[in-house]
Amino acid sequence: MENRESIPCVELRNLVKRFPGVTAVDHVSLKVEKGKVFSLLGPSGCGKTTALRIIAGLETMDEGDVLIDGKVINDVPAYKRDCSIVFQTLALFPHMTVEANVSYGLEQRKVPKDEIRKRVGEIIDLMGLGGMEKRRPSQLSGGQQQRVALARSLILSPKVLLLDEPLASLDRKLRKGMQVELKRIQREVGITFLYVTHDQKEALSLSDTIAVMDKGKLEQVGTPEEIYETPRTKRVADFIGASNIFPGKVIASGNGKVQLETEGGSRVIALENKDIRSEEVTGISVHPELVEVLPEGTGLEGDNRFRGKIVEMIYQGDFIETKICLDQTGGLITSYLNSRLGRETQFSPGEEVLVHWSPESSNILLG
Amino acid sequence: MKSLTGKTLLAIATLTYLFMWVPTITLIVFSFSNDKLGIRWEGFTLKWYAEIFNNAAVRNALEMSLIIAITTIVVSTLAGTVTAYGLYKYKFRGKEVIRMSLLLPIVMPYIVTAGALLVFFTRVVDIPLGYPSILIAHISFSTPLAVFIVLGRMQRIDWTLEEASMDLGAGRLTTWRRITLPLLMPAVIASAVLIFPWSFSDFTITFFVAGVGNTTLPIYVYSALRWGETAAVNAIGAIFVALPLIGLLLMNFFQKKRVI
Repeated sequence: MENRESIPCVELRNLVKRFPGVTAVDHVSLKVEKGKVFSLLGPSGCGKTTALRIIAGLETMDEGDVLIDGKVINDVPAYKRDCSIVFQTLALFPHMTVEANVSYGLEQRKVPKDEIRKRVGEIIDLMGLGGMEKRRPSQLSGGQQQRVALARSLILSPKVLLLDEPLASLDRKLRKGMQVELKRIQREVGITFLYVTHDQKEALSLSDTIAVMDKGKLEQVGTPEEIYETPRTKRVADFIGASNIFPGKVIASGNGKVQLETEGGSRVIALENKDIRSEEVTGISVHPELVEVLPEGTGLEGDNRFRGKIVEMIYQGDFIETKICLDQTGGLITSYLNSRLGRETQFSPGEEVLVHWSPESSNILLG
Repeated sequence: MKSLTGKTLLAIATLTYLFMWVPTITLIVFSFSNDKLGIRWEGFTLKWYAEIFNNAAVRNALEMSLIIAITTIVVSTLAGTVTAYGLYKYKFRGKEVIRMSLLLPIVMPYIVTAGALLVFFTRVVDIPLGYPSILIAHISFSTPLAVFIVLGRMQRIDWTLEEASMDLGAGRLTTWRRITLPLLMPAVIASAVLIFPWSFSDFTITFFVAGVGNTTLPIYVYSALRWGETAAVNAIGAIFVALPLIGLLLMNFFQKKRVI
């Protein structure tokens, strides 16, 4: 009893789900802490939605266990599970009013009418849906529909709220607003959120913990900072946007630094990490915004300095995506130049430049 | 003013409509004519309507036709909806065969269905020819229609709604009653409205399986014509047009009212 607090809200143990020709979920084990926002992040088809549907009880698994609040619920049918899902399509009942949609779950639980009315009123206030009670879902805006879907699930005070890309159908600006809103709601109700998304920015800004999935496997679990700054595998690095990936081996270490030889034959420097053995290192990744571009005349002495030629500059608004072909290896490296800096130094495609990043910007990859 | 193509199209469309409606309109007009043969205009009268409603045989035939049609609607739409749900939602061996074999009665000539049913009732199972056999026959040729209309609707339904309902704590039955059925309702109503005229006005199959002395309205009309009661038959014909027309108008009304 003493460690009641440490029982995870949701736990998956060696979860396996096979579809004909593909293993959608491949021995996934994870723990979701109570009262936190946990994101399953990955490209479409990576198995994250399948995992969520298994937790909700809408899909059967082939192997493994699902636990909610420490209890194995493998054989509990969906309608008896203490969790609720917000679907990507929202799945609001089109033939019912907002009120009827929201009270549906409480009616199934045989809650007295007076209490239903009271709780529906409260959640409608919390969601800012006042005045919409008698409308049908088709008469609401996208953001309002979103709130109704959330209200319909939250009113049941589930142990965990499962969200399957709930913001995917909204436009960019609305999505931003709803992200803030979701965080606020989560703080107010204190319910654990298990959030499935393919949008790394969304996951980074919403989550307490992120689990990155790819091809049915769990690649890495960590805080948003850990996932973003120290992705441990090529797949995670690529997915999170640390798109400059240099496979290579450690050839020397000392003075708190390690030297790697990349497959292309260049030497790159990274900081030594006591937790990582040199033999395990498979390369490094660098975030494009950490790659500096300097005029050609700058000296070559120092770590991680390479000559190259700008091959492409793509204007992205707040930055200029600049692709540079490295002279030594012929490989491409991407740098995000601050738009203003880019204008000041007036780089242009075809120009010979010097590329540089500091050793602490090199992130060590293990797979 | 209009192009030649436009004029030609208008002409074709007008001719088509005339072709479709002139016989029917003629029949309705003559049902109000004072002419005994019902083929000339001899002044307005309602006596043919009075006559058919005072005629016990007609009343009886109309009553039977309505009872059969309504029973057929209820049984066929129910059976059709459940069948369609099973065909759509569940995977099992021979599903395609069943689906295709359900389509067959719709495309098969009536006379074949009629003959088959007659043989079935007299030789395979021993059901006496009469109202029960008529009812069974009607249900058997109407149900596939309901299956296909409801299946069509199912293909356009968001099935996550069922999952959402179960996720919110509703069991299968509640989900079916509160979510699935309301979503299927337009299709259920549409099949009811289409089955009504199909059953109500069927002659061929009914004639084969009716046996002796059992009449529905179409069979009554057939025998009345043989005895030369043209004028009264015109009035019956007008009823045949009016009832399904009312059905269609009702469906239209409901469609406009419903949000789905």
